[in-house]
Amino acid sequence: MTHSSTPSFFAENWEIGPIFRTLLRNKVGAMLIALQIAFTMTIVVNAIYIIVQRSEKMQRPSGIDEANSFFISSVGFSHDFNGLVSTQQDLNLIRSLNGVVDAIQINAVPLSGSGWSMGLQTEPGAEFDGTGTAVYMVDEHALNALDVALVAGENFSPTDIQVRTSSQTHWPDKTIITLAMANRLFPNDGLAAVGKTVYINDIEPMIITGIIDKLQAPWVGWDNVENVMLTPEIRDAKSSRYFIRTEPGERDRIMTQVESVLAKSNPGRIVKDLRSIDETRLRAYRDNSAMIRILITVMVILIIVTGLGIVGLVSFSVNQRKKQIGTRRALGASQHAIVRYFMLENLLISTAGVLLGALLTVGLNIVLVDAFSLTPIAWYYIPLGMLALWLVGQVAVYGPAKKAANIPPALATRSA
Amino acid sequence: MLNMTDIKKIYRTDSIETHALREFNLQVNEGDFVAVTGPSGSGKTTFLNIAGLLETFEEGRYELDGVDISNQNDAARSRLRNQKIGFIFQSFNLIPDLNLFDNVDVPLRYRGFNRQERKKRIEQSLEMVGLAKRIKHLPAQLSGGQQQRVAIARALAGEPRFLLADEPTGNLDSNMAQSVMTLLKEINARGTTIIMVTHDTELAAQAKRNIHVRDGRVSENVGCKTMSTSNSDVTPLSSLNAVSAQGC
Amino acid sequence: MFHYYLKLAFKSYKRNPILTGLMVAAIALGIGASMTTITVNYLMSADPIPTKSGQLFYVQVDSWDPNRGFNDEPNTPPNQLTWTEATNLMSANKAYRQSAMAKSGAIIEPSNGDISPFEASIRLAFKDFFPMFNVPFKYGNAWDQKADDDRQMVVVLSKDINDKVFAGQNSVGKSIIIDGKSFRVIGVLASWQPLPKFYDVNNGAFDEPEALFMPFYLKQELELPNWGNTNCWKTPDGEGFSAFLQSECINFQMWVELPTLQDKRAYMAFLNNYVNDQKELGRFPRPLNNQLLNVMQWMDDQKVVADDAQIMMWLSFMFLLVCLLNTIGLQMAKFSAKSAEIGLRRAVGATKGDLFFQYTIETAAVGIAGGILGLGLAFLGLVGIRQLYGDVMNDLASLDTTMITLALLLSLLASVCAGLYPTWRACNIAPASQLKSQ
Repeated sequence: MTHSSTPSFFAENWEIGPIFRTLLRNKVGAMLIALQIAFTMTIVVNAIYIIVQRSEKMQRPSGIDEANSFFISSVGFSHDFNGLVSTQQDLNLIRSLNGVVDAIQINAVPLSGSGWSMGLQTEPGAEFDGTGTAVYMVDEHALNALDVALVAGENFSPTDIQVRTSSQTHWPDKTIITLAMANRLFPNDGLAAVGKTVYINDIEPMIITGIIDKLQAPWVGWDNVENVMLTPEIRDAKSSRYFIRTEPGERDRIMTQVESVLAKSNPGRIVKDLRSIDETRLRAYRDNSAMIRILITVMVILIIVTGLGIVGLVSFSVNQRKKQIGTRRALGASQHAIVRYFMLENLLISTAGVLLGALLTVGLNIVLVDAFSLTPIAWYYIPLGMLALWLVGQVAVYGPAKKAANIPPALATRSA
Repeated sequence: MLNMTDIKKIYRTDSIETHALREFNLQVNEGDFVAVTGPSGSGKTTFLNIAGLLETFEEGRYELDGVDISNQNDAARSRLRNQKIGFIFQSFNLIPDLNLFDNVDVPLRYRGFNRQERKKRIEQSLEMVGLAKRIKHLPAQLSGGQQQRVAIARALAGEPRFLLADEPTGNLDSNMAQSVMTLLKEINARGTTIIMVTHDTELAAQAKRNIHVRDGRVSENVGCKTMSTSNSDVTPLSSLNAVSAQGC
Repeated sequence: MFHYYLKLAFKSYKRNPILTGLMVAAIALGIGASMTTITVNYLMSADPIPTKSGQLFYVQVDSWDPNRGFNDEPNTPPNQLTWTEATNLMSANKAYRQSAMAKSGAIIEPSNGDISPFEASIRLAFKDFFPMFNVPFKYGNAWDQKADDDRQMVVVLSKDINDKVFAGQNSVGKSIIIDGKSFRVIGVLASWQPLPKFYDVNNGAFDEPEALFMPFYLKQELELPNWGNTNCWKTPDGEGFSAFLQSECINFQMWVELPTLQDKRAYMAFLNNYVNDQKELGRFPRPLNNQLLNVMQWMDDQKVVADDAQIMMWLSFMFLLVCLLNTIGLQMAKFSAKSAEIGLRRAVGATKGDLFFQYTIETAAVGIAGGILGLGLAFLGLVGIRQLYGDVMNDLASLDTTMITLALLLSLLASVCAGLYPTWRACNIAPASQLKSQ
């Protein structure tokens, strides 16, 4: 007797044909598993895609020294309250504290969600579109306090700083902008923007005197979150917000200290909104991190449900096919061959499932893109998702398959 | 060829030990056609299971075709079953979802034959049992006798040295039973050693050699041609009492 | 018969505890996930003022930039009004009830020295604000027309502020220092928190209502600051507070109550006339594009229901679908194991209808069990949502009786649907086929 077996990934004697024909005779059961796998894949892949996008968004640096910075606001209410004097006193006081790197008055804080925006344009006139940018009104300490680096031009000098009143509409003639903003205004070479004139309020000229590496606008959900301009101004208003950067490890101590010295220094005002940047970041991305956690929970539970469903159905089918399995064993199937049979059967069902799943995944993504303006899914999520669901099926089926392999061959001779 | 010496087999449940075989001795030579009879509970199915490597045993020595079985692991025994033994079962044990071709194909796949080889063997063996034309049919579309023929084709397709038949005619009417028996005799004539467990002493009489199993032992046998007692509806317990009543 | 079937159902669960457990768990998880997200969506999209949400309209006129619309796409009018429009439309007094409004804030200096000064939010509005929005009073009343016209320094306190400053006592007639000036308390609200806070969704659709309510013109009188979003397409002409009020900057909202469709048509005609008149004066450079949306339309327009909440809801429906597919599979497995029993019952005279009823009860009971367990999970899910999202979600993540009923109905419906095919298949087993032992 001569015989040969061809060793290949799918060996000829792996019963793919007979398994497939058997499945065709039990379509509904197989279809149910395949559909489950398809929908699970659809949800899981889209969920993972959303999770990845959200966490990429959350990982964008704000540009400031987040771990060591905080802010606090002061609101004066007494009749004799002088905003400008109070601000200068407060800043002197805070800057003199041990452990403070620097402090500034600022109108808005990165990550905080509220702030000012203006448009800058390279040519004057209402008919030209401006490029939206966040505005931070700061003095010459800003670069140090915000921990941003100049990549071109120079910092504001103390003489640049102008007093801004509450409903003032005109702007100083100097500005420092982020490299991202510079690249947007001057697409060919942002770094060369230094010295160029841009227009605010359609026609008011401003000269770009410096370019900083990176600083985020207050609104993390804004598409152009890196469009930022600094203006050399100190605000004369009843309310004033201070941004303080401390030495590493000193933040918490200084937060309490600043709050109490400011409160004591002037009874005609209240201090409020004391908040670290870490806390501000948590709040800014709370919706995103909540979404991520919810999606992860949903995914895990879903995979467990699908996995358990497969375990249940396969266990059941093993039970139903006990006699057949015993017979196969009697006819010479090794335990390994029995395990392989069920794994292969599941692989075939899963393949149908993940193929349908790939279509549904793209379909759901198109719907999400359409209805919620998400970005289209990257192609490699699909094969990865298919692989993952194949794996889920194989892991789920392994236990019952192992049990099937333990069915004794002697069952074949037992009368039914 | 097949050599059993002092085989002992005990079934244990939580509370009870049953000695299914005790000091079971048997030698079967190449080309034999052995019919094994015995009352229900006598141990003949246990014998068949051990002979067919479907079960292990506690003590004794079993050599099959020169191979000592006692120290073979499960995988090796599966391989031996696949290569050397063909099985025929009382209830045929065809796989209902597979057509005749795929049913006969089952052991050949485990054997590792390539596609052409398997196809050739399946067609030949179904031809031999006269069912070549129904190769695409499902078992449910066949009569009992035809199903058993498919089972025989499946057993023979791998050209085993041994054919183990467990009540092969038990579920068949007498005409069909006789035709299956005739087929078995033909197969034996071509050189395959057959061991057949049966209740039917008339069929047993057509074998070359008869063995009677009683109480887990071989009780000698040759030429024993007593009339069969009715074997239906005999429960194992009452059969113990019935043993002495049997004349052989 | 029902009891008998119920008994049979429980026997069947006992025989297959793992399959039954898996089914209940699958339904419970599916229901739990969907109910959690449905509840959040339901509360986010709830009608905050059901008795008259169809009669209250948000006033929008397109006063924006000639070169570009307020929104790129589609061309919608700005979401707020300028001071000029707010005051002109109020003076015209063309609606049944009307109130322009704005958000501001100031420091309160309690007379009780134990409480240090604190900052409070202000809703500047007209007298109609209170009857128009069915605002409940605990003490006192809203101010009157004269207070609006004369810019009287009167204030209505929220319950929380009255509790804080006046220890919950009836403070009507007492004075309170706000922004350094003495105000007379004219009313105190009972608890009032419309969800969403529909009258000003731009500034936090699920925020608390403001702490103080006072006549709108005090904005000008006291130069109260702009809180909330301010948008300008054109720089104010000149500096100072009055220049801002005269500018094209939008920081004001306006609601009108128009009981009938005729009223609404008439008001729309009035708005169009008004805008045309303004065009004569050289304002409103854009084409006529005015809008009157009622409460629910406005909520929809402003996308009050967060995208994330909707995404989660649709994903959780798919999740429920997977759980149902799971249940169908398990149910089929369970019934196919019972084919002998079914054959027997058919043989002894049960009709298909009897069997269908029996097995539907069996699946329905699984559904109810899953529904109850699912409610528990939804409860946990909502606790989780509250923790993840913080204060904003406190009022948006709680189950009410509607939701509980919905959950039970949904699970019952889902499980019966999931049971239909397996039950139908089981009932179609031929009476005799399973009797013959094989």
